[in-house]
Order: sequence, then structure tokens, then C-alpha cells
Amino acid sequence: MNINEQIIIETQSLTRAFGKTLAVDSLDLSIRRGELFGLVGPDGAGKTTILRLLTGLLKITSGSGSLVGFDLATQPEEIKRHIGYMAQEFSLYSELTVLENLRFFSQLFDVSEEDFSMRSERLLEFAALSSFRNRRADHLSGGMQKKLALACTLIHEPEILILDEPTTGVDPISRREFWDILAELYDDGTTVVVSTPYMDEADRCSRVGLMYEGRMVVCDKPEAIRSQLKGEVVRVRPDDWQAARAVLGELPGILETQSYGESIHLLVDSAEKRIPEIELALKGNGIGIKEIRPAPPRMEEAFISIIRGLAAHEDVPEKP
Amino acid sequence: MSIRHVFAVVRKEIQHILRDRSTLVLVLLAPTALMLLMGYALTMDIQHVPIAVLDYDRSSTSRDFVQQITAGDDLDLYAQVSSMEEIEALLMRGEIKVALVLAPGFARDIRSLRGMPLQIIIDGTEPQSGAFAVDHVGWRAEEFLNQALSAQMGALGVTQGVSQPIDLRVRAWYNPSLKPRVDMIPGLISMVLGFPALSVALTLAHEREHGTLEQLMATPITRAEVLLGKMIPYVLVGLVNVILIPLLAMLLFRIPFNGNFIVFFLLSAVFLFAIMGMGLIIGVFMKTQPAALALSFLLIFFPGFFMTGIFFPIASMPEVMRLEALVLPGTHYAIITRGVFLTGVGLDVLWPYGVMLAGLGVIFLGIAGLFFRKTLG
Repeated sequence: MNINEQIIIETQSLTRAFGKTLAVDSLDLSIRRGELFGLVGPDGAGKTTILRLLTGLLKITSGSGSLVGFDLATQPEEIKRHIGYMAQEFSLYSELTVLENLRFFSQLFDVSEEDFSMRSERLLEFAALSSFRNRRADHLSGGMQKKLALACTLIHEPEILILDEPTTGVDPISRREFWDILAELYDDGTTVVVSTPYMDEADRCSRVGLMYEGRMVVCDKPEAIRSQLKGEVVRVRPDDWQAARAVLGELPGILETQSYGESIHLLVDSAEKRIPEIELALKGNGIGIKEIRPAPPRMEEAFISIIRGLAAHEDVPEKP
Repeated sequence: MSIRHVFAVVRKEIQHILRDRSTLVLVLLAPTALMLLMGYALTMDIQHVPIAVLDYDRSSTSRDFVQQITAGDDLDLYAQVSSMEEIEALLMRGEIKVALVLAPGFARDIRSLRGMPLQIIIDGTEPQSGAFAVDHVGWRAEEFLNQALSAQMGALGVTQGVSQPIDLRVRAWYNPSLKPRVDMIPGLISMVLGFPALSVALTLAHEREHGTLEQLMATPITRAEVLLGKMIPYVLVGLVNVILIPLLAMLLFRIPFNGNFIVFFLLSAVFLFAIMGMGLIIGVFMKTQPAALALSFLLIFFPGFFMTGIFFPIASMPEVMRLEALVLPGTHYAIITRGVFLTGVGLDVLWPYGVMLAGLGVIFLGIAGLFFRKTLG
């Protein structure tokens, strides 16, 4: 068997309840060595709970799971040696310098001094923090703090990296840099499990699981998820957004409308056929059109569509 | 148990203490400030208590008496009044704390050796000044009576073999002048040295609030390593205070240090271990810093003040409170500080208290370890 085909994370009916709420409901997941697995879904869907269960920080209510061959319920401390975990609110020791933070975690993971001096140099290089090694963590920018946090979780060369929304609250450029680093780790064969609220990040994963109300409702490659979207996407930018929505809701052939800021994305049966009809309807109601064009389907539309389908009888708030 | 893990946490924590100004102030400056503030406040000598006199006798004897009573620095004659109503008015306005009423026949009763018809009225809302005045009036009155008695005897021609009715001589050992200051300060020292326990309680809550504890829990570090690593730095910093605070007390409050400093240092280290254990327990249970702060005051400082025998003798407490006092490290440490500073006793006398403190420390650490989990929620 190819090493890349090995299952490194596996769960069976993994469940965690908080009181009567099932934060994670019967999760069956298997992740192979070397995957870059993305966990997406609305807030409160259970992403953080899954990651905390996988790191042994939360106790399992029922079901089972294993990482790197160790049992989640009985060998959490063994698992901790083999994984690197970055909590959502990862905060470094702010009074410690970059290097001191790295050294602290290396000592907790029993990294030898020789290994530490070698790896810390490489990681600082990797995270572009070499010239800041003696700067206090609280004097770093948000993006640099995240990269230092990542370096701290890599100092013991874990087999699995578990990252909980590592780029939330980070500027777009730092976000891109961070993902470039993840891509490098992925190329090197490190298994990465990352949760994210950003769909463009989900698109960079090798496989994506969509969480909704504690259940994993879809788990597939990004392109496969995008192709699940029935119909085509038309992007409209009207000058009166609210009036436009009311008009568009009445038109035939429009399967779904989603709002993105000033623009409305319409899921239609055929873009070619419907664009003239939409233009006509809007103009007929005195609504100006700044832009109208077919757009390639994105993860975002696919996910919203899937979740809408699941919540057919519930009131799912739209993404603003 | 990995020494390297413990050392890593200790070093990180010391770096935190030294670099975080508020923590540094809390562990090093606050005990000194508390010592100064409370030391001066608690040991002020009462002086110049204003009194009013209502003299119904109006004799030369009564005038002599009043003159003698108010001759010193302790009691000042604020007003001579002529009615009880006036006394009440003065008391109500807070202008006097004490009033003396000399009954008619004051001089006659003394002359005929029937005693001294004297009434003392004190302001019960401020019993400290009142008790002070009662003591001082009592001493002066006794003196006055003895003089009067001698004079009477002399007038009767008896000069030999006259003994005073009461001749009680009080000797306060170890504190010859019976100054409250000398007795208070070692007790106070025992209290302020325990102050950094607050920081131990806060440091765990701080890590919980900032998410670093979650990160720590995701490493292979054991619970005992975390707790020891958290406790040791504060014991070390506390030992700096163990040198500073007694020096301060000796220089500023003129407290003797009659014992052996090595013994004191050793027993102080054991006390710090015990009190930091209490801090750890609070840190383990309280999720936020405000909660940890509130509970520290409730469990460490208020009982440390009122239940460790510094201000109120433990023997006069109800039984339940006496038992509770036993589990407070401050109770045992207050005995140690008084012993070392005032009586100058050594380990031969103090060892049981050291053993108690060590036992408490182990129990506290055990409780903290038992309830400190490496899981969330």
C-alpha cells in the first residue's frame, strides 16, 4: 500500500453533546496521510468542536476515533505528541520574544537543543520571521503572530497539523501568505486539517467537509462540490438592490438568489436564455443595471445552495 | 515528571513576571506598599483624647484630680461643663469621646477612705478611644488615690508599714513597653508575604482567558508539570519579599529580630509553598481573572486578616472557625513570624508549624492537581 493511501485520521459515529445539543453528531470521517482537509460551515456548525475532539481537548460523548493509530478516548497524550494544534484564539505568550516562544514549545515537545537550533532557523526563514526573532510577540503584526503560532505548532515536526480558523481576522495579504505556507507543507506531505469561514480558502484544499448543525453534510473534492451546483450563475449589479431583488424573485427560471454586497448572484437554469429576460424585467421596473454577466460557479454559491436545500423549512440567514 | 517541562514553564513564567509591569507590581511592590500603609495605620499611638469634665463637687480635691488626669499627652481637657445635657451635646457632635462626672462629695469620700465616686462616660461608637481613656483614667485615679491615702496616713502620724491597697506589677515579656506596634508588625508581615498568592490565582485564569492554556493543553505536558511550573516562580519571587519586608519592618517600625534569619527564611519558603497552593486551587476553579481575584480576597485575604490570630486571638473564636483557622497557612505562619521576631525561638519550638504548613501545601497542590484537567468544557 502506498504511504499516501494510509488513513491517518479516522472517526466512527464520533459524537459530542453539550447538554442536549449535539455539537458533533455521528461523524464518520477518514483522512489519508498527506491530505489538506478543509472544514467549512456556518458559525456554530461544530467545526471547532471536531478539531478539539481530534486533539483530545474535548472528551468524546460517544463513538470512537483514532489519529496516527492511537485511540482518541484512551491515548490522547500519545496523540498530542504527533500533532500540532493551533487554536482559533491562538495567542502566544505576548511578553516572550519570537525565539522564546518557539523554544518554549520545543521544550514541551522534548525537541533536543540541536534539533531546535536547526528547525527554528528553518521555520523562521519559512515564516519570514528571521529578522524579528528577538521581537516580543505582542509587538508583531497580526499576520506575523499567526505565522509565529504556526511555527510553534511545527517545531516538533508533527505528522498532522490541526488548525482552527488560522486566518480569521488577518489581512488579505497575510492570509494569502499563510496559505502559501500551508500549500508548501501540503507539498511536503504533512497532513493538514484546517477549518475556515472563507470559501476561497476551501477551494485550496484537497478535500472539503461541509458542516451544518453538527453533521457533515458534504465531503468531497472542491471541484466535485462546485459541480453539484445545479444551473448556472448570473451576476447582477443593479442600482437599487432591494427593488431588484423583489422583481427578480418573481421571474421564471431563477432557482435561487444570493446577495453579495451590492451584487446579486442568481442561480438560473440557463444563463444565455435568462439574461435578456432579467435585463428587460429590471428596466421595465425602472431599475438601472450597472453590470450583468454570467459568472463561474464558486464554492460559496455551492455551499449556500446546499445549506438552503437542507434548511428548506428553516430560516437560514443569508450571507451578507 | 519531566524536569525539562517544569523548567520550561518556570522560565517562561519568570520572564512573564519580569516583563509584565502589572504582575511585577503585584508580586514585588504591593507587599511593600501594604506593609507601609497598614503598618502605619495599625500602630498609631492614641494620643490627646478630648474629654469633658462635669464636676459636681467643686472642691480643691476634685480640681486637683482633674488637673492630674489631664496632665499628660494622653487625655486633653476639652471642656468643663455644668450639666449632663452639655455632655450629651458634645458627644453627639463628636467633639469629645469621653466625659468624666465627679459626684458631689468627691473630696469627702476620698478623705473618709470610702473610695472615689467617679463616672466615666464613653462614646460607644468608637470603643477604641473609650477603652484607652478608661485605662488611662484608671491608672491616674489609682495614683491619685494612693497619694491621697499616703497623705491621710501621714496626717494621722502613720509613716511606717503603710502598704497600698493594690500593688499589681505587670511585666510584658518580649514586648516590654507593650506597644501594639511590636505585636502587630510580625502578624502583618505574615499577611503581606502571602500576597503574591493572588498572582498565582490570576496567572492560570489569565492563560485561560488568553487561549494560551488551550495551547498548553494540546502539548504533552502533564498537569503536575504545569502546576509546579506555575507555583515555583512565585515562591522564588516571594522569597525576595521575605528578605525585603523584614528589613523594612526593622528599619521603619523598629521591630527587633531576635531569632535566626535562616530559620525564618526556611519556614517562609514552606509557607509560600502552602499559600501558593491555595492560589493554584483558585486558579484551577475560576475561569476568569475577576472571578479569581474575588475568590482570592474571599478565601485568602479576609480570612488571613481576621482568622489567623493576627488581630483576634484564635482561642476566642467559635470552634468551627478555630478549625478553619487551622487550614489557613497564615495561622501557622503568624505564630512563626511572632516567634522569630519577638521571642527569638528557633526550629526546636517552631518545627510543628513548619510541618503543618508543608502538609497543607501538599494537600492544596493535590487538590489543584485533582481538579485541573487537560480538557476543555
